Amino acid sequence: MTPPRQVDDLLGRELSADERELLGLYERLRALASRSDLAPCVTANVKQALVMIWNACNDLALIAEEPRVD
Amino acid sequence: MAGPDTSPYWNPKTETLPREQLAALQTEKLRRLVQRAWNESPFHRRLYERARVTPDRIKTLDDIRRLPFMTREDWMACQAEKPLFGDLVTRPRADAIRYHLTSGTSGRQPLRVLDSRKDWAWIGEMWCYGFWAFGIRPRDTVFFAFSYGSFIGFWGAHYCCEKIGCLVLPSGNLTTEARVKQLVEMEATVVCATPTYALRMAQCAQQMGIDLRRDGKVERVIVSGEPAGSIPATKRLIEEMWGAKCGDTAGMTEIGTIMIFECDRQPGGTHIIEDHFIEEVLDPTSGEPAGYGERGERVVTSFGRGFIPLIRYRTKDLVEKVPHSDCSCGRTGDLYRGGILGRVDDMKLIRGTNVYPRAVEAIVREYPEVEEFQIVITREDDIRDEITVQCELAPDKRPLWDALAPRIGKDLADVHEGLRFNVALADPGSLPRFELKAKRLQDLRPKG
Repeated sequence: MTPPRQVDDLLGRELSADERELLGLYERLRALASRSDLAPCVTANVKQALVMIWNACNDLALIAEEPRVD
Repeated sequence: MAGPDTSPYWNPKTETLPREQLAALQTEKLRRLVQRAWNESPFHRRLYERARVTPDRIKTLDDIRRLPFMTREDWMACQAEKPLFGDLVTRPRADAIRYHLTSGTSGRQPLRVLDSRKDWAWIGEMWCYGFWAFGIRPRDTVFFAFSYGSFIGFWGAHYCCEKIGCLVLPSGNLTTEARVKQLVEMEATVVCATPTYALRMAQCAQQMGIDLRRDGKVERVIVSGEPAGSIPATKRLIEEMWGAKCGDTAGMTEIGTIMIFECDRQPGGTHIIEDHFIEEVLDPTSGEPAGYGERGERVVTSFGRGFIPLIRYRTKDLVEKVPHSDCSCGRTGDLYRGGILGRVDDMKLIRGTNVYPRAVEAIVREYPEVEEFQIVITREDDIRDEITVQCELAPDKRPLWDALAPRIGKDLADVHEGLRFNVALADPGSLPRFELKAKRLQDLRPKG
């Protein structure tokens, strides 16, 4: 799994291992949600998963940007 | 074994942040939010250009005061100019998955809101902060006494409970009697309702011969939509009738969710979700910040709703902020003592619905048979608010009253989220007339 490019949270603290994993998952879902060649059942469910993971990342102050592909 | 269910906090990381770190997080989020609003919302760009402020001026939390206020009137005007949603929104309508609206204010135009998939998930997330803090866990069975209409109400709370993993009982169009039966039969452990309706259900149960304290399993009643949820006497009555703890929450359609909640320590106030909102309290006249313990107007900045940036929005809610140390729960979010205390303007809150005299007038004036009218607000049995529109007809039109009254009542309800209005016929010449500024509203409820 490709680690996330980001190394700190919004407070400037280094990401923990769990936070890195979560953020990596978010980035992978975001990449999948951006694709237009997937089946509707894949795209719709990936987007649902994406926004749930976005909330976990946002709560933990890892991201503040909009996902934009939801 | 310790697991997530044993955590007292929904989000231990940011709910317990030291205040200076919380401020740093808010500053970072504010900086990004203002930049996004500038880039994507013509409404905000226009507002900031008029105030000669650019996003790069936001460097500290205090810099928020450089930003102009946003008002409901601004929002309504922008919607009227560019129907249906104005140029406040940052994305095309096709990106939205939810539509909700407020009650009408001046005239019949409500505020219309759109939410993306992410926004809707965030709306549920904010309720999770509150429900978890009041002790709701996956083992709970949660009953919603809510009509699931275009009023946003408990919609987000429903999704919050699904997310937590509760068994959710949506009661939709059930009668009060059917609701009481179902929540007893299904052994609901949590009930969500307005304070008024929580009492009504309890009274209905008594009439049905059901003792909720004995026959029911409800441990917690979560209320929202009326300031009464933080009035100690009301809360006590709910707790006595249900044999359960009663916790308050408060939100608004403009943010789509709640921004304050009572934790299970119940220190006499509601915690602010400060990692997702900046809540300023300002003197409504001077606009200067009010200190701890001073009453003022809530001005909210929300970080979560992507479709509609809400920055320094003047809510006209009256509040009194106190430090987080007034509560022993460990959360570092400050509190509003007594929840939402009321309104700083003339808007009236009736059973959870906003009623503006101008909106009532806009309806009544569509009936030329009505010569004069008065709005009278009373509190019955110390708890239930009633609103009555007294109408005076021209003498020759009085025979039409039986046909007119239900139409007026329906029109009033239609623009007020279904709120029931009493409509009464006044005697000829009995209502006051005015030469200058009319005073057509009497609020006879106890003050304070």
